[in-house]
Amino acid sequence: MIKIFLLIFYLLLSLQANANEEMQPIANLEDLKNKKIGVMLGSTHDAFAHKQYPEADILQYKSPADVLLGVKSGKVDVGIYNSVSLTEILKLNPDLGVIDKPFEFSPVGFGFNKKNVELHAQFNTFFQTIKDSGVYADMIERWTKKGITDMPKIDTPNKNGLLVAGHISDGGLPFVTLRNNENIGLNIELAKRFAAYLGKDIRFDDMEFGGLIPSLNTGKIDFIAVTLMFTEERKQKINFGEPYYEIGMSAFALKKNIAAFKQEKKNDSNAPTFLEGLANNFQSNLIQEKRYLLLWDGLKTTIIISILATIFGTFLGGIVCFLRMSKNKFLNIPAKIYISILRGTPVLVILMIIFYVVFASVNINPIIVATIAFGMNCGAYAAEIFRSGIEGIEKGQTEAGIAMGFNKIKTFIYIILPQTIRRILPIYKGEIITLVKMTSIVGYIAVQDLTKASDIIRSRTFDAFFPLILIAILYFLISLILIQSLDYLEKITDPKYKRKVKTKS
Amino acid sequence: MIKVENLSKKYGDLVVLKNISTEIKKGEVVSIIGPSGTGKSTFLRCLNLLDEPSGGSIFIDGENILDKKVDVSKIRQKMNMVFQSFNLFSHLSVIENLTLGPIKLKGISKEAAENKSMDLLRLVGLAEKAENYPDELSGGQKQRVAIARCLAMEPEIILFDEPTSALDPTMVSEVLSVIRRLAKEGMTMAIVTHEMAFARDVSNRVFYMDQGLIYEEGSPKQIFDAPKKERTKVFINRIRNLVSKIKTQDFDFYALNGEIEGFCEKQLISKLMRTNLLRVVEELLILYKPYLSKIELELEIAHSEKTNQLSLICQTKGKKFNPLDNKDLEDDIGIKIIRKFTEVVKFKWADNQNRLELLFIN
Repeated sequence: MIKIFLLIFYLLLSLQANANEEMQPIANLEDLKNKKIGVMLGSTHDAFAHKQYPEADILQYKSPADVLLGVKSGKVDVGIYNSVSLTEILKLNPDLGVIDKPFEFSPVGFGFNKKNVELHAQFNTFFQTIKDSGVYADMIERWTKKGITDMPKIDTPNKNGLLVAGHISDGGLPFVTLRNNENIGLNIELAKRFAAYLGKDIRFDDMEFGGLIPSLNTGKIDFIAVTLMFTEERKQKINFGEPYYEIGMSAFALKKNIAAFKQEKKNDSNAPTFLEGLANNFQSNLIQEKRYLLLWDGLKTTIIISILATIFGTFLGGIVCFLRMSKNKFLNIPAKIYISILRGTPVLVILMIIFYVVFASVNINPIIVATIAFGMNCGAYAAEIFRSGIEGIEKGQTEAGIAMGFNKIKTFIYIILPQTIRRILPIYKGEIITLVKMTSIVGYIAVQDLTKASDIIRSRTFDAFFPLILIAILYFLISLILIQSLDYLEKITDPKYKRKVKTKS
Repeated sequence: MIKVENLSKKYGDLVVLKNISTEIKKGEVVSIIGPSGTGKSTFLRCLNLLDEPSGGSIFIDGENILDKKVDVSKIRQKMNMVFQSFNLFSHLSVIENLTLGPIKLKGISKEAAENKSMDLLRLVGLAEKAENYPDELSGGQKQRVAIARCLAMEPEIILFDEPTSALDPTMVSEVLSVIRRLAKEGMTMAIVTHEMAFARDVSNRVFYMDQGLIYEEGSPKQIFDAPKKERTKVFINRIRNLVSKIKTQDFDFYALNGEIEGFCEKQLISKLMRTNLLRVVEELLILYKPYLSKIELELEIAHSEKTNQLSLICQTKGKKFNPLDNKDLEDDIGIKIIRKFTEVVKFKWADNQNRLELLFIN
């Protein structure tokens, strides 16, 4: 949530800054040396830019869409991306242009775990087969030359189990993109054919580029179905399948900043009005390719994670609180340590540790991982909230219960607990809302929540404003509903409210 | 009914109770008096194990409750407690405070428990507050509800831990009269209290506790009128006083009056005496008033609990000055009033200090 607002704020600021700057037009690749360059973190473009342009200011983004937005909004002067996908992207973005020619051609292929030699060999055999049969040539023809973007039907029967492919859904055509809430592209077709060849079903886990290789090596995914460029560094970590294409890099920038396009006339005469623009945005961001489905799924995921984490966190908080309040050192010291560690580390780090380290070799649903991570965090805070609530109740209340003949447990249930709940609800409410907003980082472990859905839409429409504002509103609505229902709970647990109802009826 | 043998309680090195042995019989009302910090409350709290005794044994109806095998919760149901700070359950209404125990512990139906509770609330005079919440009641009302809550569990004995200490003086009597009523009805009770007059007329037996021991015990008459031991004598004959300093002519007269009334209430001084005291104070202050810009007046009201003797002492510094000894005011109504209500008037001037002492007619 905060991430989103910061992004919006930053975008607005950069627009402002942009207006005042007039830069020297870029004529060739030489001119990049003292510019701001946007690249995708961990990509070969990243490595190339650092090597070739040590003087340049290099900004590393998490996804191709962010690189593109960086260029469009003027936060960077130039972006570097793979030349093939860029051709497709530029079709949709007439204000962008390529500088000079593509360079640094390199073979690309899928990535395999070094320990999984068998799958690697199977892929290479499979690849030889489709090369021989002409299927491969046909695929290349369709996707890259003719630009036909229909996926052929491929059966993946789940006879021999499931194959998990890590990929980036917003890589860009012809390799991969998301249309009508479905992955399409050359990579997808190749991966599916491979799965069909093995007689397995296939699942695509959408990840951040930087998370692909760690996920492969910790066994989260079986192989990487991304156009991975062959580099020495990567070869040390993973095995590459047979190269299936060769792509170069291209540098791109706003046309007005490129010398070659400088002469081109501007025709801004029939710019759409604000309302028309909004309608267009609505159309392209929500209706087109059924993108509302993405948001709907994301919303469901966000809500499910929030609810599960709240329940788990509350439960855990209760246990930790009990341990923390125990007089036994062996119980309260671990609880104290737990609380200080969980409160002292960012949730994102905990989330990644649980995903990549704790459950490294376990095939576990990332939603459960998210629930555990957020629940653990919530539990640490909840434990302290509970404790302050319980300790805030006078000792006399317990004594009165005990003196009356209740045992300790019954005193807690009938006398202390009801009073504690009333006391802590106002603070607890805030904690739950914080939790809901905190879930916006689950995209890091390949969960498609609301924020990730907006990221995907942004990557397709290259429109930052509309999707971000939209999910900001959605988050706000979730919080509002939560606040309202908790307010109601607070009201009905007020003993005086009970009496009011009683006297009315 | 309750038999205590060699009961002791230590907090670390601090010995609070030293080998107490005694017995409380059915139908007895025992008052426990003594200076603060001598273990009165601790003794009471050890009886129902709210404080764990360090040694000794406690027998309730012949059963040693310090035995690990005994279900203490069950025994506590027989001996409920009234606390100094009331401890009503703040999340429950008055009636729910009363019914919680019977419903959850004795398995009585809600309806039966409510009927019974309403009867008890009538007994303590608070039936119309049944639906109210504790924070809507005055201190005295809270304490009466707490007593009713005790009774709802039908205990065989009630332990009162300074039931009036946290109350406004004006509310003490409403609580005490409820306790008196219970005493009359034959309830077994152990009461820790600072209300001497009350202890004297409500109890069958009085424990004077000092230094962690039951230092002296006996009938109220014995303890209050003829204490045998030294410390008991000192305690019983001690004099309580109220001192206030008046420095300006614009002092808060009403606050002073309130303080005096509170003091009288606490000392159980009769209404007539109280009115007399207030009138004398008022008249004296009128006499002193012209001089208050220059001198400071120290007013002391002293009361002996034993003899019920009330005296008023006025002290000022400076030249010899006695407001009652003023030739110009021979026929003053104020002086006449003062002389009417007080019997011995002593005046002394020494070391630059005036001391005027008035003794009230009993």
